[in-house]
Amino acid sequence: MFSLYKKEIQSFFYSPFAYVLSALFMLIFGFAFVGRIVNMETSVFQFSFPDMFYNNFFYFIFIIPLLTMRSFADERRGGTEVQLLTSPLTIPQIVLAKFFSIVTVFIFMLVLSLFFPIYVSFHGTVIWPSLICGYVSFFLWGTTCIAIGMLISAMQSSSIIAAIIGEIIMEGFLTLDLIGASKMIESNPRLNSVVTWFSMQRRFVFIAQGMFRLEDLVFFLSLTAMVLFWIVLYIEKRRRSHN
Amino acid sequence: MVEVKNLTKHYGHVTAVNDLSFEIRDNEILGFLGPNGAGKSTTMNIIAGYLPSSEGTVTVCGHDIKEDARAAKKCIGYLPEIPPLYPDMRVEEYLRYCAGIKGIRRGEIKKEIEKAMERLQLTDMRRRLIVNLSKGYKQRVGLAQAIIGDPDLLILDEPTVGLDPSQVSELRDFIRELGKDHSVILSSHILGEISAVCNRVVIINKGELCAVDTIDNLERKAAGETILNLTVEGDQLAASMVLDGINGIREIKEVFEMGGDTFFFKISLEDEKVRQGIMSAMVENGISIVEMSMDKPDLEKVFLDLTRKKGSHKKSDNK
Repeated sequence: MFSLYKKEIQSFFYSPFAYVLSALFMLIFGFAFVGRIVNMETSVFQFSFPDMFYNNFFYFIFIIPLLTMRSFADERRGGTEVQLLTSPLTIPQIVLAKFFSIVTVFIFMLVLSLFFPIYVSFHGTVIWPSLICGYVSFFLWGTTCIAIGMLISAMQSSSIIAAIIGEIIMEGFLTLDLIGASKMIESNPRLNSVVTWFSMQRRFVFIAQGMFRLEDLVFFLSLTAMVLFWIVLYIEKRRRSHN
Repeated sequence: MVEVKNLTKHYGHVTAVNDLSFEIRDNEILGFLGPNGAGKSTTMNIIAGYLPSSEGTVTVCGHDIKEDARAAKKCIGYLPEIPPLYPDMRVEEYLRYCAGIKGIRRGEIKKEIEKAMERLQLTDMRRRLIVNLSKGYKQRVGLAQAIIGDPDLLILDEPTVGLDPSQVSELRDFIRELGKDHSVILSSHILGEISAVCNRVVIINKGELCAVDTIDNLERKAAGETILNLTVEGDQLAASMVLDGINGIREIKEVFEMGGDTFFFKISLEDEKVRQGIMSAMVENGISIVEMSMDKPDLEKVFLDLTRKKGSHKKSDNK
């Protein structure tokens, strides 16, 4: 399993892929950071990092399908899926190795973004507990989206189509949050409770603001586990009905 | 080594493989023949553990491929029709990855990679990106990943497709070499390749088993009658009279003049041994033999005969 994990990591870092996406991530973070400095109303160099994470949420959600699009689709198209499935590795091991490799790239991006709070710490004050909450919420939400992106990739043999469908689904998540906040839904308590329960954005904000609710943690972790399990079932089903 | 019992595979309402049973012995090269769509790749994929069967069992080195997949897969090296290569990896790096996913112990990986590269003459290419390799070298890398870890069973699906004649010859020699200490299943459309390399063949058509036997036995069975082609120099009448007097000749099927005093006879014999008697009688009567040959059906004729018989179920196993 470690060999597959290592190969996946190498395929990210031996190509410009991880660096281009990391640069894009830093650019988005940089814009949010500069925007915050420009709009500062006090001379104290202190601002809320969770707010910055919240701004990035809307942009980073579209980077995730680019990270995950190749995970399974490329294996199918290149004929290397046969090698994986005839190796002594089990399907759960294959899925986990790929998942952890993408999560590693995601962590690499988050580590790069530490540049901003470190820079702030030299010139002002960083509220560290608030920053940690921001990172935790961003990480939990990101890993769930990675699992969803991988599922879409497992269902496709073209990485480009996997990325496009991924973008549409991510847009769907954002739309769900907008629908949940609309007056029509808010006026119907039962419908509102269903829509808000599925809202990732609302749970993200709770954790980012330091409100650690067991419900939100369980939501992100169980949704990630469920989607990964779905990938395993999907690959197994496709293997059985292979034509 | 491998036992396939009553193997059946359905794709929805279509039956791709129907009740196949055969075995692969230790250190034997088994040819797998069949027209396109016969179910060869499906069968090989099931044996390799890529596809599950609908019914029946496959046992590799005593391990059931369904129940004990991990142990069974450790005994298998598989080279699919399209070699499973990552173009952006280097040869050595790719083989190291293959050794890793095959579960080879860390201490032995280096030794195994060196051995595989040496056997396939890839040592000079170790640092090359796979994308930059020629078709022949890519096929070698594909074969190297199959033999890494020295698995007992090698499944090679059309390994010579797209190679030039010298590469085909080299690869055949290599497969023959592998057959000395491995069991090999070799699928190919090239009948000459199967005849040249394999000990036994399995012929399937429309998912059903047509024959499992050695090539010699199949050819002998397909022959039906023993035909001798005889070209003599001398008097035609005298030669015919000599032939009439020999026991064991069924009939003279054809006679024609080839020019001058040379005549051609197509003779049906009861037994191949009668040939000796014909030779002696001709010499005794002063008739010189220009050429003498037995009409022997080749694998191509056997293959066509068996696969043209729709729904044939002629099992001629010599287990």
